[in-house]
Amino acid sequence: MLRAIGKKDRDIFDEVWPDKRKIVLKLLRQDTVSQREWQDLFFGVHFVCLWDEKGAAKIYDCLQQDIVEFIVHAQSQVQAQRGEQALLATYIVEWRKFFTQSNYLPLPFRQLEQSPQVKPASSSSASGASTSASTSNAASCSNQAATRSSSVNPAASSSAASPSGASTSAASATASTSATASTSAAAAAAASNTASSSSKKNPTEDSPVRKLMLDSWNKHIFHDIKHRLQDSAMKIVHAERNGDAYDAQLVVGVRESYVNLSSNAEDKLEIYRENFEMAYLKATAEFYRLKSTEQQQQNGVLAYMKYADAKLREEEVRAKRYLEPSSFSILTYTLVKVLIVDHLNSIIAECPALIRDYETERLNLMFRLMDRVLHGVGVEAMMGDLQRHIMSAGLADMLSASDIITQDSEKYVERLLELFNKFSDLVRNAFNDDPRFLTARDIAFKTVVNDTSVFKMELPTSIANRGVKFTAPESKCPELLANYCDMLLRRTPLSKRLTSEQIDARLRDVLLVLKYVNNKDVFMRYHKVHLTRRLILGTSADSEKEEDIVEWLREVGMPADYVNRLARMFQDIKVSEDLNTQFRTSISRHDAINIKILNAGAWARCSERVSVSLPIELEDYIPDVEEFYKKKHSGRKLQWYHHMSNGTITFVNNFGRYDLDVTTFQMAVLFAWNQRQHDKISYENLRLATELPDPELRRTLWSLVAFPKIKKQILLMEPSAIGSPKDFTENTLFYINQEFAIVKNGKSQRRGKLNLIGRLQLSTERSQQEDNQSIVQLRILRTQEAIIKIMKVRKRMNNAALQGELIDILKNMFLPSKKMIKEQLEWLIEHKYMRRDDDDINMFIYVA
Amino acid sequence: MKVTIKSWTGVATWRWIANDENCGICRMSFESTCPECALPGDDCPLVWGVCSHCFHMHCIVKWLNLQPLNKQCPMCRQSWKFNIH
Repeated sequence: MLRAIGKKDRDIFDEVWPDKRKIVLKLLRQDTVSQREWQDLFFGVHFVCLWDEKGAAKIYDCLQQDIVEFIVHAQSQVQAQRGEQALLATYIVEWRKFFTQSNYLPLPFRQLEQSPQVKPASSSSASGASTSASTSNAASCSNQAATRSSSVNPAASSSAASPSGASTSAASATASTSATASTSAAAAAAASNTASSSSKKNPTEDSPVRKLMLDSWNKHIFHDIKHRLQDSAMKIVHAERNGDAYDAQLVVGVRESYVNLSSNAEDKLEIYRENFEMAYLKATAEFYRLKSTEQQQQNGVLAYMKYADAKLREEEVRAKRYLEPSSFSILTYTLVKVLIVDHLNSIIAECPALIRDYETERLNLMFRLMDRVLHGVGVEAMMGDLQRHIMSAGLADMLSASDIITQDSEKYVERLLELFNKFSDLVRNAFNDDPRFLTARDIAFKTVVNDTSVFKMELPTSIANRGVKFTAPESKCPELLANYCDMLLRRTPLSKRLTSEQIDARLRDVLLVLKYVNNKDVFMRYHKVHLTRRLILGTSADSEKEEDIVEWLREVGMPADYVNRLARMFQDIKVSEDLNTQFRTSISRHDAINIKILNAGAWARCSERVSVSLPIELEDYIPDVEEFYKKKHSGRKLQWYHHMSNGTITFVNNFGRYDLDVTTFQMAVLFAWNQRQHDKISYENLRLATELPDPELRRTLWSLVAFPKIKKQILLMEPSAIGSPKDFTENTLFYINQEFAIVKNGKSQRRGKLNLIGRLQLSTERSQQEDNQSIVQLRILRTQEAIIKIMKVRKRMNNAALQGELIDILKNMFLPSKKMIKEQLEWLIEHKYMRRDDDDINMFIYVA
Repeated sequence: MKVTIKSWTGVATWRWIANDENCGICRMSFESTCPECALPGDDCPLVWGVCSHCFHMHCIVKWLNLQPLNKQCPMCRQSWKFNIH
């Protein structure tokens, strides 16, 4: 340790230091140090530094020697202990003593930092500590000398100090020398800045002496026995896990020593992390690797889930005692790996059965466990199980009840909702309404709702003039939903039975189901048809509710132009009411006349008008109404839609007096008998009298001879055995049923009211197929429109992107099939609205 | 037997009475709307000039606004005056 030093210098150091050194040793041993001695030490350090050029370095070297000696002594004390607990206890005692001193001892040596020679001293301490591979003092000294001879600055110290673990010592030694050579002044300033800012808390924290003390401890004692220490600590933790008695303080003490031992200001937890934490993780993983397999084999997977959950919590609590907060996440990761990920498949295998049995509690437990797994592998598997279950259970349920629900829209919707609520409850209780599971549920619901195996409507896929027609089956769900809506909104036994709130709730339910329907355009079509009937016949149960639902439809994202049209219909009805009031005041005798003037664009398209010869009473009113309207709105003329108009007639015979709600066509037919009550009139003559087209007349007559669910029909025919309106011939005779009466509970009533309108006919004779065709026609136009809309903005677009945007635009109306999109693209290309790119067949270009 | 009418609800739609099929400005059918509107009917009315020519109101107003000095009917070049019946 001795080096060639100038004689004069040597004198001062040698004169002063031996005395002071005694005080240092006392301090280290934690012997009592008097106030005077304490002050002497300050003076001594100051004095040597002041008068001896290399005094600081010399003090430093000497100090190091003393510290090392003390540590070696402590080490022998600790290693003398045989038992685990005793070893830990002794170590902790020694360490606490030493650590306390590390807060005091540096104080007198602050001078070392301030004298011009301080910096080299401080840096040399760092490099000395880091080269812990060199165990002999001589080697360490030569290293210090070498470092000091080159002009070193603080940057070197900080860069050298960072990897101070024993294993990386070789690398850090090279790092320190390279940093020494290359550090610039700027870097040095920056490094000293960070050092000063980090040392605000404790003035001794970054002192070279303290650093020296900690590093030496690390090198001489800790390095040798850390494995024994860790093993002992882990044994205690193990014992605790097994439920044996233990002294938790020992583990905590060891951990504290690891944390405080670090002299690296930038990463204080380095030593802790690389040793204690790693050992803890390893021990934990090993413990549970054995335990988990054992548990699962003994108690089965379901019990194991409980075990895993309990242990995860337990270990989290334990970690709070034994680990630094920074380790929590990695510990959890390790635990999840051992307790869950390693058993993932066997746990997941239980999922379908649990879902089937609605074991919400266990599912919830499983979900909580799986949710801890990174990347959601487990959760995804559970989602898949849930989705498959809802789909198969839902479809099975629908199929088993197919007899009832295909006929009865109320039963269908209620059944569907029951199913939805059941699964929504499951998702809520078992999966806490986790968005991922809600999505899985929604996908499954969609499949159930749009499934065509229970019932379907056939839609032609191509337009008629394109040759062979194929039909694409679609779920009838939207139609049934619209029917159910109608039952709730119309005055029906159902809507009378329910309170306003109940109806609201059910309408909301309908919208909920509607959300899952792919082809909303079918719903809109039927809803509008029903609404038209309700408005024309005035059969709405509650007009406020009618308008509410229009707004709700807007809220759930129905296309704006569709919703606006519905709103317009209400407006027309209101305007018509005003007109009626004005009309009645203008001409007093028209009390019985009501007119409904509709906006052609907003109401259901009904291009054809049906001619009919009206009863004379009505015939007289028509010009009055037209005249009145012309005065109100110049430049407009009325077009009558008699197939929609209707009225109430009073029918009097020998039995009584009855009010009958009838269509205008029925009215026209019945009035044919007004002048010749007892005659039998042939079909041909009725046609001449009413001027109705053949199909309308047949239908109207049929509704009068065979109205469903009434005992006595108003008209009778000859021959009476005719099965359908198609079988009427020109010579079929019809006559008034003189015995007609309204029958209630088996008794003929003298008075009463009867509705013979049934379903108001909105269009002229048109088959269901033609109706469906118009849906398809509209879809084709919508698709073309949407394609052009997109291409107009994008100009150039590839096929995949175009389809994506197209579906996005159309999804609130219907889900366009690939085939239809392709056909419409071809059509648009053929008609020069767009073209394909010459080089890329999948690229479309808009042609203005 | 006797049948009498107690009440009757007549349903009708209305059409414009125009002397032409299409609007002379936008060339759209009078039964549909001007290019700016979505729903035909009250929201996109027709107007008549004293010269008896008829346009979508939106179309003729736009046209008149574009004429700096003489507000003329685009069909017959007579000065435009709204015909208020």
